[in-house]
Amino acid sequence: MDDETADLLARSFERVFEGGSAADAEKALDEVGWREALEAEGAAVPPLLFARQGAANAASGALDDVLAAALAVPAGPGTAVVLPEFGRHAAPGSVRNGALTVRGLGTVRMAAADAAVVVAEEDGVLRAFTVDTGRLRIRRVKGVDPRLGLAAVDGDVSPAGPGSDVDWSGALAAGRSALAYELIGASRTMLRLAREHALTRVQFGRPIASFQAVRHRLAESLYAIECADAAAGAAVEEAGRALPAGIAKALAGRNARTVARHCQQVLAGVGFTEEHEFHHCLRRVLALDGLLGDARTLTRELGEELLRTRRMPAVPPL
Amino acid sequence: MDLREFRAGLDGWLDEHGPELEPRHGPDVTLDEEMAHLAKVKRLTYDAGWMRWGWPERVGGFGGSTLMRAYLGEALASRDLIEPGVYSMTEVLAPTMIEFARPELAAEMVPRLLRGDETWCQGFSEPSTGSNLASLACRARRAGDEWRVDGQKVWTSLAQFAERCVLLTRTGTPESGGKGITALFVDMDTPGITVRPIRAMHGRDEFCEVFFDDVRVPLDRTLGEVDGGWAVAMDLLPYERSTSLWHRGAYLRQRLARLLGSAPEGALDPAELGAVVQQVFAFQARSRATQHRMARGERLGPETSIDKVMVATTEQAVYDLVAGAVPADIALGDDADGDRWRTEFLYSRAATIYGGSAEVQRNIIARRLLDLGAER
Repeated sequence: MDDETADLLARSFERVFEGGSAADAEKALDEVGWREALEAEGAAVPPLLFARQGAANAASGALDDVLAAALAVPAGPGTAVVLPEFGRHAAPGSVRNGALTVRGLGTVRMAAADAAVVVAEEDGVLRAFTVDTGRLRIRRVKGVDPRLGLAAVDGDVSPAGPGSDVDWSGALAAGRSALAYELIGASRTMLRLAREHALTRVQFGRPIASFQAVRHRLAESLYAIECADAAAGAAVEEAGRALPAGIAKALAGRNARTVARHCQQVLAGVGFTEEHEFHHCLRRVLALDGLLGDARTLTRELGEELLRTRRMPAVPPL
Repeated sequence: MDLREFRAGLDGWLDEHGPELEPRHGPDVTLDEEMAHLAKVKRLTYDAGWMRWGWPERVGGFGGSTLMRAYLGEALASRDLIEPGVYSMTEVLAPTMIEFARPELAAEMVPRLLRGDETWCQGFSEPSTGSNLASLACRARRAGDEWRVDGQKVWTSLAQFAERCVLLTRTGTPESGGKGITALFVDMDTPGITVRPIRAMHGRDEFCEVFFDDVRVPLDRTLGEVDGGWAVAMDLLPYERSTSLWHRGAYLRQRLARLLGSAPEGALDPAELGAVVQQVFAFQARSRATQHRMARGERLGPETSIDKVMVATTEQAVYDLVAGAVPADIALGDDADGDRWRTEFLYSRAATIYGGSAEVQRNIIARRLLDLGAER
């Protein structure tokens, strides 16, 4: 994608989260041609949308579209993809004796969707099944981040067809890359809030932004964000490879907590109130980290994999 | 020549010539031997042409993208043929000469540096001037058609081997700060210069004290404008945080690969290993993006402080992992492997100190990137 197209897309995506509600965002995604752009331009498109979604503390079913595209199943506003259970990344379904058991999560789209795509394992093979949402138990989760609108999904159904073979690790890579950008977006908002506070809050007769202890916490936050951003950029360039996206998601999840810690300390009392915007970001970070494999799991599994192969993973060549 | 062609050609050449470029390692290898080895690597790569790509033709280069320079250092570091700390000083000193020296002087001198005929050093820090570079005191007085330099520098890497020095001097009043500094290009064999190496804790005496006692430097050795030395220093610092960091990344990756290949069963904790590999990946990704910005001709600035914090953090994380995985090698190992891990571990402790401390980098990030206004 050339810079001009990226610019145009980024500007049109700015509208998506203006309405505020998830329903507005879902509608706007349709209007701005998000799914068409994703199909036409591929991996370069999700960063533009997800960084904004994270920054705006907004929710939509865009992740369902990213996963559907990677699974090569038809995407649409009425189609949600069942996510793995919290913190984990094993496919959410399994087929035994012809019965499909589903246990996982859904994005905010799930409750309103007609169809749920379930990736399920049978005899070691992963296939995608499309299931009528009416046949699943879908329960809205409030949890730490009610605004995110996650749903718990489970059920036992008999699949309508044989299912289609899918590249689950490719789908995880695409989803993790998108979530990394969402976490980075949330992190940038936390830093913005803390920075604005530091410049306006006066103590000892001067803005607290003039104290080195405060400045270094904010610098540390920007550093943490840029680390995650660098890895996420490489993951997009290497789209389709599982490893870079896993690294990006893990770094974005871990570093977002670092950013939250520093920024909350700078925001101090006001950041601990419900009136202040900060807590929404912290909540978002905790929730997003658990989708498609959390930082702790991805990091340990990366280490285990390296100890098996005893080889360093490739980095994008110069 | 584009990067792809360069990469393929260089890789083939290194497959063939790698063995003769291999350095020795071990407690008996002196810094003199290391320097002689580096000079040999530079000469052979220069004579074969590889060292000349990515440098302007007016200083003996073949032109072309700076990415080729980045790849040359990467390839040499990945194959464990160089230690990038010393090798990459060229990436800081040569651009300074190209930008600020008289064209004839740059044309005469830079090829000597590239070819490994000469070693140059960088006289910046002083006993009273560490992080606060603008307070430097080493004095240069105008006397007819020359400068007379008096004062002292410290932490001057490799001054005992150096034929030339890019020297920052005070030419304004003592209170003139950044406005009264002038950069000079000084021959190290000029009478009045005394070099005293400092043995550092990792067992190498690569840093020196340099004393200047009425040292005469011709006026035409002035780099940039008189009293314009601050611009020279500020221009040079982003270079110190770009290509040399890409080389360092390749080296760290190679050392981590070595640890991964050789650490005994159970020595590495998967979670710790995973976190360090992620950190190295992010650093290399960032550094790569910086290389591409530089190759496109973008002016590098304070954002390279992020790169600098990344290299220091990554380097210490790598060697902390090493120290945890092979503690007996670090503590007791007197063989070549143990000596090398220990030396590198100890050297890594300085990564947050040299070239602008971790704190100064964070000050820059706060002031310039986050726009937090002045401190205090």
